[in-house]
Amino acid sequence: MAKGIKDKVAILAMGCSRFGERWDVGQEELMAEAYLEALGHAGIAPGQIEAAWYSSHYDDIGAGKAGTPMAQALRLPAIGVTRVENFCAGGTEAFRGAVYAVASGAVDIALAVGVEKLKDTGFAGLPPASRGTFAPMYLPTHTNPGNFAQLARAYGTRHAVSAGDLKRAMGHTSMKSHANAVKNGNAHLRKAITIEQAVNAPMVAEPLGLFDCCPVSDGAACAIVTTPEIARSLGKAPVLVKAIQLVASNGWEVQSSGWNGSYVHTARIAARRAYAEAGIADPRTALSFAELHDCFSITELVTLEDIGLADEGTAWKRMLDGAFDIDGAMPCQVDGGLKCFGHPVGASGLRMLYECWLQLSGQAGERQLASPSLALTHNLGGAPAQNVCSITIVGAA
Amino acid sequence: MTGITAIAIHLPRLRLQRASMAAAMDWLCPRSDTRGARTLAFWDEDPVTMGVAAARTCLAAAPQARAAVRALAFATTTPVFAEPQQASLMHAALRLPEQTLAQDTGGTLRCGLLALQQALEGANPALVIAADMPSNTPGSLAEFRYSDGAAAALVGGGPVLLDYRGGASLSAPFIERYRDPGHALATDWEERWVREAGVLELVPRAIAEALGRAGLSPADIHHVVLPCVIPGAAKAVAQAAGLGGARLAPPLDTECGDTGSAHALVMLARAMEDMRPGERVVVAQFGQGATALVLEATSAIADFAPLASVALSAGIAETNYLKLPVFRGLMPWERGLRGRLPVNEALTTAYRNSEALLGFVGGRSRETGQVQFPPSRLAVAETGLFAEPQEPWPLADLGGTVATATADRLAFSRSPPNCYGLVDIPGGARLMMDFTDPDAARLAPGDAARFVFRIKDKDERTGYRRYFWKAVAASALPATA
Repeated sequence: MAKGIKDKVAILAMGCSRFGERWDVGQEELMAEAYLEALGHAGIAPGQIEAAWYSSHYDDIGAGKAGTPMAQALRLPAIGVTRVENFCAGGTEAFRGAVYAVASGAVDIALAVGVEKLKDTGFAGLPPASRGTFAPMYLPTHTNPGNFAQLARAYGTRHAVSAGDLKRAMGHTSMKSHANAVKNGNAHLRKAITIEQAVNAPMVAEPLGLFDCCPVSDGAACAIVTTPEIARSLGKAPVLVKAIQLVASNGWEVQSSGWNGSYVHTARIAARRAYAEAGIADPRTALSFAELHDCFSITELVTLEDIGLADEGTAWKRMLDGAFDIDGAMPCQVDGGLKCFGHPVGASGLRMLYECWLQLSGQAGERQLASPSLALTHNLGGAPAQNVCSITIVGAA
Repeated sequence: MTGITAIAIHLPRLRLQRASMAAAMDWLCPRSDTRGARTLAFWDEDPVTMGVAAARTCLAAAPQARAAVRALAFATTTPVFAEPQQASLMHAALRLPEQTLAQDTGGTLRCGLLALQQALEGANPALVIAADMPSNTPGSLAEFRYSDGAAAALVGGGPVLLDYRGGASLSAPFIERYRDPGHALATDWEERWVREAGVLELVPRAIAEALGRAGLSPADIHHVVLPCVIPGAAKAVAQAAGLGGARLAPPLDTECGDTGSAHALVMLARAMEDMRPGERVVVAQFGQGATALVLEATSAIADFAPLASVALSAGIAETNYLKLPVFRGLMPWERGLRGRLPVNEALTTAYRNSEALLGFVGGRSRETGQVQFPPSRLAVAETGLFAEPQEPWPLADLGGTVATATADRLAFSRSPPNCYGLVDIPGGARLMMDFTDPDAARLAPGDAARFVFRIKDKDERTGYRRYFWKAVAASALPATA
């Protein structure tokens, strides 16, 4: 029986670029921005990094395929660089690679970087991704708002939530993240909004309006991981990896009629396994805060239930009650989340871990939570019906 | 006894009001008669899809005929492709036997009737499909009169609706209308000349020849089907042919317009609703000559379902004339970045999966009974490995239930919003499908859906188009389509 990853690897340091419409820089500069910050925090020389993992989703824009774009951008010291791509879970996938490498004992210090340069495409919203030769022959021309709008409708139907109530709960979800991002200098959107603004915004895909959708951002984030022993020897109070779980849909949801469309199947499985790996019996009391993949407001609401932070069918109500606000029982998206920090696809998983690392090591400044001890990140890549879902749990030593 | 064993029509749901056409173009091309409407193919309909829809209704009326078909003729003046052959695509969509002689025919609006004559005089059980989207200059009288539509007829022995008594075709280099393959729009010559020197000269002669071959006289004829867009020409032909006493089938000009190569069959299908056993009909059409066929109703006509009337009355009034030039690709418009992506068809992939893509054939696991689309080497299941080869499982006629739905304003569509969602199909299958139809945004979870063969994507650079199946609200379809 495998023992899992708990307490075997430490986050030595992290870095994150400013997210947003970065007309001023390209993918290489974004990576360098995050990397130089992490290196500064870590107090190591580049030559001490022995292996690297690199996440970017779109290979046809930005830097291109393989590990070389990152090796060159960061002038890495002739080490192995593995490019990973796993939709919006890519950043976490890069982190997993680096963590597993350290845990295996093959290397002492490893690097994970995620980056996306989306604003060189001319698109509002994510550009269409290539889907191979066969899928476009039968699958609809779909967009992410369209895919997650289906989740919203199915959730409302399943739990008999009126369209008006659900829309207000989604509005509160976005309002809360906007409020949090005001205190985040790296965030893409730093302007508070009202629920009414969110509810009355132009429709993108019924019932998802403009403020129910996260922005499309440029950005990069970076983690340097090592063993807890090495971290301590470098004088750091390490943030330890407690669990990393990743689940990919096998087609059951999208090809058979067993799934009712109102929840995310993979998220439930990943959460269950992550809590077991981390030894968490009750996440609502064990976790201090969570960074969820709020690509759309509805995703955050449904995820709260899928990962056990709210009972099924109640997240919308608890959201309206303020349970997930910064001063609520379970603060979510304390850095603004995808909704306001931004969503450079390949970087998002690492951006969430960056916030966890800041909070758990007491470096979150104006938005610092009172003595957090354990945090969860969640990524959902793809669509509710077919996706890659990751859950990571990290904690103060 | 050889004859027509089944016949059906397909009309696009949109009915473009002539008053709206005039309101848009009257300042440029004044029109005095703006009565009624003409059909307008939705952006994802073309002669291939409309022909498949008509043929599916036909095959539904005579299910035993599918396996017996050995010839398929597709007649259109507006082929989608110069190459490849369209009949082969329709053959696959209809899941007809491999041993089928399939061919395209065209060149004249009479080509549908020519194909029917050939089938009636041939040795093989045949499916004749005629579909057209006559292509005319914006503002022209022809644009007013012609319309989009399809018809199909099954021809063979056995229990026929109409027994074939005889027919004749005459050929003449009478060119009243022409269009180079590189030109989108046809040019028409003066109408009075066409009527006097063409229609009234040639059609009565063809009718006389056909009656002679049938061993019948004009007095033996009860119904006349004569598609012709020139007002009064049909009546004049009937009189010239001695058929003044027969019932002249309505031209359906106010209901749907003249559907070109399909219209003889469209009008015949409608007229058959009024026929009684033993009555005879002459079906004749003009175009670089003339064809006339004589058919006699059998006792089976008494049970002929009035599906043509249902289709004729199942339209949605469309008042925006600009949809015609936009849907036809006659007018550039702002597509946005998402509308500029090319369709890079991997022809190898398309052929390898042609049964699934064109025939909408899924797979069924012999181990679990689970139906799925697309078929795969290993069967879909929440857990477990099921590796037994699957059996082919046709889905097109099963219909389904909408599980999730969205109306997406971000995704590119030629008629936004882009509507799609998960559809559950009997046997436990589920598929993310496009929803089509002008009312697609109304489809909601729990709604019954039926499946239609439509254009999936078009590549504006090369003209290539791919086809697949889409979901339509069952309530939006008048009959099996």
